[in-house]
Parts: sequence; C-alpha cells; structure tokens
Amino acid sequence: MKFKINRNQLIQGVQGVMKAISSRTTIPILTGVKMTVDSGGMTLTGSDSDISIERFIPAEENGEINLEVQTPGSIILQARYFSEIVKKLPDETVEIEVGERFETQMRSGASEFSLIGLDPEEYPRLPQVEEQNVFSIQGDLLKMMIRQTVFAVSTSETRPILTGVNWSLEDGQLTCVATDSHRLAQRTVKINSNATELSFRNVVIPGKSLNELSKIVEDSEELVQIVVTNNQILFKTKNTLFFSRLLDGNFPDTSKLLPGDSKTTLVLGTKELLQAIDRASLLAREGRNNVVKLVTLNENELEISSNSPEIGKVFEHVAITSMVGEELKISFNAKYMMEALKAMDCSEIKILFTGAMRPFLIEPQSGDSIKQLILPVRTY
Amino acid sequence: MGEQNQKRRIILHVDMNCFYASVECAFDPSLQGKPLAIAGDVEDRRGIVVTCSYEAREFGIKPPMPLWEAKRLCRHLLVKKPDFQKYKAMSARMFQLLREYTDLVEPVSIDEGYMELTYVKADPLFIAYDIQRRLKDELGLPSSIGVAPNKFLAKMASDMKKPMGITILRKRDIPKILWPLEVGEMHGIGKKTEHKLNEYDIFTIGDLAKEDSYAMKQRFGVNGVKMWERANGIDERKVDPDSANDYQSIGHSTTLKEDTVSQTMLSAVFSRLAESVERRLRQKQVVSSAIQIVIRYANRHTITRSKKLENPIQEKEKIYENAWQLFKKHWNGEPIRLLGVTALDLVERDSAYIQLDLFHYHEEKRREDLTKALDAIRKKYGDKAIQKGNNKKCKE
Amino acid sequence: MGWEELRKKQPRVVKTLTNSLKKNRLAHAYVFEGGNGTGKMETALMLARAFLCREKNGVSPCGECSDCKRIDSGNHPDVHIVSPEGQSIKIDQIRGLQKEFSYHGMESEKKVYIVEHADKMTVQAANSLLKFLEEPTSPTIACILTEQVHRLLDTILSRSQVLSFSPLPPDLLVEALTEEGISLPLAKITAALTNDKSKAHEICREEWFAQARDKVIQLTEGLRNRPNHVLVTLQENWLSLFKEKNQLDIFLSLLLIWYKDLLFIQLSEPDKLIFIDQEDRLKEQALQNSQKRLSEKMLAILTAKQRLGANVNPQALMEQLVLRLREG
Repeated sequence: MKFKINRNQLIQGVQGVMKAISSRTTIPILTGVKMTVDSGGMTLTGSDSDISIERFIPAEENGEINLEVQTPGSIILQARYFSEIVKKLPDETVEIEVGERFETQMRSGASEFSLIGLDPEEYPRLPQVEEQNVFSIQGDLLKMMIRQTVFAVSTSETRPILTGVNWSLEDGQLTCVATDSHRLAQRTVKINSNATELSFRNVVIPGKSLNELSKIVEDSEELVQIVVTNNQILFKTKNTLFFSRLLDGNFPDTSKLLPGDSKTTLVLGTKELLQAIDRASLLAREGRNNVVKLVTLNENELEISSNSPEIGKVFEHVAITSMVGEELKISFNAKYMMEALKAMDCSEIKILFTGAMRPFLIEPQSGDSIKQLILPVRTY
Repeated sequence: MGEQNQKRRIILHVDMNCFYASVECAFDPSLQGKPLAIAGDVEDRRGIVVTCSYEAREFGIKPPMPLWEAKRLCRHLLVKKPDFQKYKAMSARMFQLLREYTDLVEPVSIDEGYMELTYVKADPLFIAYDIQRRLKDELGLPSSIGVAPNKFLAKMASDMKKPMGITILRKRDIPKILWPLEVGEMHGIGKKTEHKLNEYDIFTIGDLAKEDSYAMKQRFGVNGVKMWERANGIDERKVDPDSANDYQSIGHSTTLKEDTVSQTMLSAVFSRLAESVERRLRQKQVVSSAIQIVIRYANRHTITRSKKLENPIQEKEKIYENAWQLFKKHWNGEPIRLLGVTALDLVERDSAYIQLDLFHYHEEKRREDLTKALDAIRKKYGDKAIQKGNNKKCKE
Repeated sequence: MGWEELRKKQPRVVKTLTNSLKKNRLAHAYVFEGGNGTGKMETALMLARAFLCREKNGVSPCGECSDCKRIDSGNHPDVHIVSPEGQSIKIDQIRGLQKEFSYHGMESEKKVYIVEHADKMTVQAANSLLKFLEEPTSPTIACILTEQVHRLLDTILSRSQVLSFSPLPPDLLVEALTEEGISLPLAKITAALTNDKSKAHEICREEWFAQARDKVIQLTEGLRNRPNHVLVTLQENWLSLFKEKNQLDIFLSLLLIWYKDLLFIQLSEPDKLIFIDQEDRLKEQALQNSQKRLSEKMLAILTAKQRLGANVNPQALMEQLVLRLREG
C-alpha cells in the first residue's frame, strides 16, 4: 500500500474516527485506527465495539485532489500515536507506505516516521449496507427525535434494556420510546421511504450511542440514511458512517402503559409552566426529593408549590387556557417535569391526568407526535 | 442503676477545626496552608464570611465578617462558596468514625459531637489520640478534643487548645484552669448574661462558682442554678445519640465475638443491626434515603461504603437488604472484626415521598383505595379518628 | 491446535464437546474444572473457534479464517475473556462483562464468554454471572474455568455442564515442562512428584529443590561408602537444608523414587528410570542391594513419611531412618 494524502484532510478524517476510539478497550486491536485506500479514496475506521465510525475521504472532491493512490491496501496503526503525529507533520501532504510485514513509513517534508502497523485482517467486520433495507430521515429531525427521547433512558444497570431507546418502524411510521420506569418519552415520525414495506420492532439503541450520534449529525435538511441489521444499526451521512451495537433483550411493551382516557385535562403555555416549576423547585432541590405539587384552583389558574421544611415554601400561580374535568392535586418530581417540558417543541401543551396516583401524559396542544408520561410521587 | 451512677463518667467532646474550610482543603490539597474563607456569595461583595482557615484568622479575619472587609485585611484571600452536600457527607463520615468506638455518640451540630466513653474499656486518652489521628489521616480533617467527666467540661476543654489539641479537664483542675476565666468564656453564657452577671460583681467563672446557688436562682431562675452548677463542674446531662438534628444519621455498629468469614454469621449481624436502626428510625419518625455500611477487617483496615436509595426506607428488611448488597459488593473475603450500618439522609416521615414506577404503579392502587377510605372517615369523624397502624410501636 | 491434539490430554472432555457440536446441542454454560496445565483454556478457545468459525469442516474449525485467527490473537470482538488481574477478578472487569451480557454481539448474534480462575470472583461477581446463566438470550456459550471447583457457587454449578479435566499423565507433563525450558532430568523428577503443572513449576523454582536432588545422591552414596559418618553429619548436611516439614517430605519422596529406580535397574527396566542422568550410579548401588532389602528400605521411607505427618521430631525421624537404611 502506498499513497499520498492532503494532511488537513487526513487530520479531519482521523479526528472524526478518534471519537469512537477508547484506550480502555479489552480488545487490543481496537486501540488502532484502520485505513483502507483504493482508487476511489480512503476509508478510516475507529471503534470501541459499542460504536464504530467510518470516515471516507474521496480521492477527488470538487475538482481538488485529496489523495493519490499508488498501490491500494489496508493497515491498522496505533490511534494515539498516529493522530498526534499527523497533527504535527510539517508539510501539506503526507506520504504513507506500508511494507509486507505492516511496517509503515510516513513521510512529510523533511520528516519521516516509521511505525509498526497491525494486520488489517484482525479488525472487526462491520455490517455492510444493503440498499433495499434503507430508510432516511432529515438530519435536523433525527437530532430533534434523539433530543426528545434520549433524556428519559435509565441510567441504572438493573434493567439494561431500559438504558436504550426503543425504535420501531411500522406502516411508514417510526416510533422512538425511552423510559427509566419513572417517566417515558415517545416520539413518532412519518418516514418518506421508497421501501414502505420496511418494518422492524424492538431495535433498542443505547442512549450513549444516540448522544454520540447527535454530535456527528449536522443540523441541516440533508438526509441521513439508516440501516438496521440483527445486531447493529447504521447511520450514513455524506462521508461518515456511524454504527452502534444494539441492546439485547425485549423492551417492555409500553403502548399499553399509556393511559387512554383522562379525568382532568389542562391546556396551558409550555414556557409559563416550565418557569413556574423551575422557580418552585429552587427550594425543592435543597430538600431531598425535588418534589413540587400541582393543584388546580379554577378554570383559569393552577398553583405550583413546594415546601422544604428547613428552608421555606414557594407558591406559584400559573394561568391556564382551559381545564376540563375533575379538580386535582398531584405531586411529582420537578426534574422529570422540566425535562419533559423542555422536550416539547410547541408553545401550548395539553396535560391529561387520570388520578393523583396514576401516570399523567403531556402532549402538544394539537397532535400527538410527542408524548411525555410522568409517574407522580406519593407520600411515604 | 445506682451502681452505674457511681461509675466515673468519661465524656469526649470532639470539635472539628474550621470545618467547612478544612473540608475544602481535604478535597483540594492546593488550598492547604493558604488563607481561605468560605463565603455565602463569592461574587457579591456583600457576602459574609461563614468560616475561614487559621491562616486567614491570622490576618484578623473572623466570621461573620463581610467579605469586602475580609478582602481588605488580606488581599490574596481565597474565597469559596459553601458546598453543603460535601460538608454533610464529610460530617456523616466523621460521625461514622466516632461510632466505631461507641454507639453513644451525640452530634451537636454538623461539626461537633459528644461521646460517652464511660462504658468503654480502653484508655480514653488513647481513644482521643486515635480519633484525632484517624480524623486527620482518613478524612484529612483537623480536630480538637476535650476529655472530661461531663459534657460541659468536655466542651470547655476542647475549646482550650486549637487546632489539633487534646485537653483533659478533671474535676480537681477546675479551680486552677476554669475559675480564672471570664464568665463570658463559659459555654452557654452570651453577651447579655455576661453583662447581667457583671452587674452582680461576677466577672470570672470562679466568682460565679463561689456565689450562693440560692441567690443565683433568685436572680436568674432555673438557668441561674445551671450556670452555678456548671461553674462548679457539675453537669448531669446524658449523651443522647437520638437528640434531634436533621444532619444526623442513625447508625449502629458491633464488634464481633471473633473474627469471621462466615456469611451466615455476618448476615445475622446485619439483620440485628438493621433491626436496631429501624427501631430508632421509628422512634424519631424519620425515613432514610441512603444506607452506609462499615467493614473493619481483622487487620483493622476499615472501609465505609454507602449507596443512595431510589426511595426512602424505614423497614428493617429493606435496611438489611441494602446493607447486605453493599457488603457483598465490597467485601474482599478477608475475616471481619466489626460491622456497622448507618441510615443517612434522614427525612421526617411525613415529608417523605416515594416515586411511583411505571411498571408497578398498579400495585399502589390498593394503597390508594385505603387512603381514600381513611380520608372519608377523617372527613366524617375528624383527623384523629383513625391512623395507619405502622405509626405505633409494634411488638413482635 | 486441533481437537486431535487436545484429545491426547483430555479424551473424555473432547469426546463430550465434539459430540455436542456434531448434534448441535452445545450447552449454554460449561464449567471446565481441573488442575493447572490440563488444557482448560486451550479447550475453551478451541470450542470458541468451533462455535464461531464460518469455514469449519464438521466439528473442526479451519484455523485459517479471520474468526479463527482473531480468537487466537485475542482480537475477536465477540469472544470475551476475563482473567484475574492480580489477586482477584476486579469489579470493573465484571462490569465490562455485565455490559456485554446486555448487548448484541458485534459481528453476529453469537458470543463466547470465558472466565479464567472463576473461583477468584467475588460473590457479587459470581451472582452477576449467574444472572446471565439464568436468562440466556442470544446463542452464547460461557466457559467457566477453575482449578478449585469446590469454591464455585452451587447455583453456578447447577446451571452449567461440569466437565472435569483429568490430571496430566507424567509423560505429557514432562513434555510440557521441557518445552518450557526445564531440563529433562529435572522435569522427570518433578513430574514424579506432582501432576499439576503450576505446582511443578513452583517446585522447580525453589533453590533448595536442586540441592535436594544432590542430597539424595549424597546420602545414598554416603550410606554405601561411609555409613557411620552419615549419622554424624546428618544435622549439618541434611536437616539444615530442609527446614520446613514439606521440604523434608519432598526429600523423602525423592529418596523413595531413588530406591524405586534401583528396583527398576534390578528388574532390567531402565526406561522407567526417573533419575535418568544417574544410571551409572544407580547400577553400582543396585549391585549391593537385594530386591528384598530394597523393598524393606522403601517401606522404611514410607513409614518415615507417615511419622513426619504425625509431627515426629525431624532429627529423631531421620536418624532412625538412616539406621534402617544402613543395615544390610
């Protein structure tokens, strides 16, 4: 293998895949970055086995030559050293040449590095993209979907499956659900896919992977292609592939847990409620449970209060647009409520209660593309 | 009873030196040896110095001085915001350490407490030195300790040498050590009382001691007698581990009859400890949101480990379950000499909450129905008409 | 390495595993139990290859494909090996394993877990392993390796198929030891003392052990040439070297082996000799002993070993033994 590459392109490429490389891996080969070049360009791969990132540098782009390939081939180099060296090389181009026993020469200007390379055959094999199983979503929408659900995943390892977001695709509708068993976030999106018969269930993506993915995807209308395999999910943007392993196990069926009816329905401003709870929880946070209480006063007003024996009390009145049904007193964790409200991308919301000891549902004032469910607290 | 009264009491008063500042130094050694103030609001110059290190005191800074004044006295004063979570956690560890010597530990505030060593066989002075050394080694915190036959004298003694002092105050030392001090120096006497005493020509503790107790009662009421008694070194107050304080934790520990690795025996010990903790949680009507255990190995190596709980607990079964889980996680399999269980993060039962769970809230329905029924009865017959059974002491 | 090579060491284990492979009825969890050097890890890796190789021929993995190669190099992302770091299996290692339990494999649904020295797990670690054994999801195999099976939780044993690895036959142990750089004469002797490879290594490393071998020769030669002198120099020449009871015990074992060798010479079976580099000396001594006398002497040594176990004073014991060996 022998090629010459524009150093800036190489730096960007390496930095892109370094995000996936961890020094604490138990699989030795994963401390390396894999490079493959052919006439089309160069592919860089990094992985910590949970997520893997592949970056492609085309040989030629917008009339500019990024790399010149003399002999195609593949090599693995120690990521830590390789990335540091590449950053510090003196010249605009880098020449890389790999010998028969994977010894690798890097030349740039007057400097020459010789690195011990590793056999590319040792690297994990990532799933291949099969075009017929692809569907796509706009980048900004994908990011939004992640933001609206991933905060509700569980951080406890007692039920590992709940540390992921459950994706399912049916009848052209993608549903994402996360729950830590104290609250639940659900987002549904219509998918414009040429493969309408495409469907899957119980694809549980680790929350951690989605957070990483979110950093990579650009906030634009550009489409992200998505492929689901038995054990991994793959997101493809222009020059980047992002793979995540899936969680193993059955995500609980949450559709039955969402209440269908309501005894009290409130409509009110998202921001007004959020700010009132934020203030009320100032004192609640000092106490140990961060609990606030919501009481309906009349058809125009509700009261948010909190009481911390050592510090004091807060009462907040919040105007509401409408109230239908029974009066209600309910207490809940302010943090859950605030996170749910921040995930709503609408100015007015609807809250549906079915009793003080039952989960309540927050939805946009119109439509149900987002559902946030919160379990209240009870006194000891 | 009478026999116990005759036993000579030995009380320790352990007082942490500049607690908040010391805790900050323990967490960030780069602060050590520098003038440091903990102030309410670092940005706002009107903030007040809550406490400061001895180095800062040398510049004449003392709480509660406004921050601007403190900065004028010492230009390079380091200022930190108080972090009460950190202090509470350290406080809990400090009291846990004290409880390794006896269960009779009474926290007075976040950074001081009394210990009754009357029934402990070891030499109290040796224990005092051991405690002081371990507080410094294991937690990085300096302390002063007073050793005396009662609480008052112990408190006075711990004040005499700071930081890192150990002072013994015996009854026979009173005339020589205590009496020359001004009455204002006496614990429990504020500025107002001092003035009043001065009006009666009482200027030193000695003056007070030599007054007539009857005359003191005439002038100052019950409090007058108390002052007179204290000045004479009399103080019968007990060391009460249950005296109410919100930063308090409830803990028990026990030294095993012999070092053991038997899980059956260790589990039984935890059961018993959990039972004792539950009993006192019930007495105080509080619930706990964090459980801590102490393991001391035969080689005296000691570890404490704690975990936060999702929901507050009071029942011995749950205390045991959490303690045992912690134990299994952290035990290295070596023989064990002492075990302890402490309930932390105490909240009054009535203001404690339980977070409902999406997958199990249906099971709460029964409880909800019960509550409704109770409410209905109360509405009809008044609040006191009926109470839930578990408020009362149950005899098993 | 293939099944055939392992079969030499562990015929029964290999038969069980290859049969299950043939019938596609592998257990979900195996406990491999047996002494050091009996081939537990080799077998576990072999099983991993046979399970994951996509080019396998019957029950035999190809050994050439990327799955096989990466299992050998420790780079297979779906083969997870946990060995104690220092004294015990650390909590972080178990966390890593637990995490793996909850994820799909990287390349396929198939995963293999190998826990070496599983007896060094904490109770909690063992319990988390148990949780996995109770709720198998994907097609996975767990191999739990231990030299001390009695220290594993019963609940783990009951959920696994336990395969006992038989101790190494002496000639295979000798082979293994010489491969690792131990001289043939020394390897022969240690293999006669133990069938556990790590114990054999331990003995070889002991400085006094090399001397013990020389002392056996010195004592028997002394008994032949200057029998009275032996008794006088017993303390300084022998007892001072074997301060520990187990050292003296090993010395007695070596002495016993020496007399056994004499017997083999008399029976004209020189290929069974243990002290192979001492054949000449053995032959000379054999001339002076009748078979009957030899068996009496061996009995004397055995009695001494027994009495050593019963805490008899070592000096008195050795003096008595020397007196009995001298006779005849």
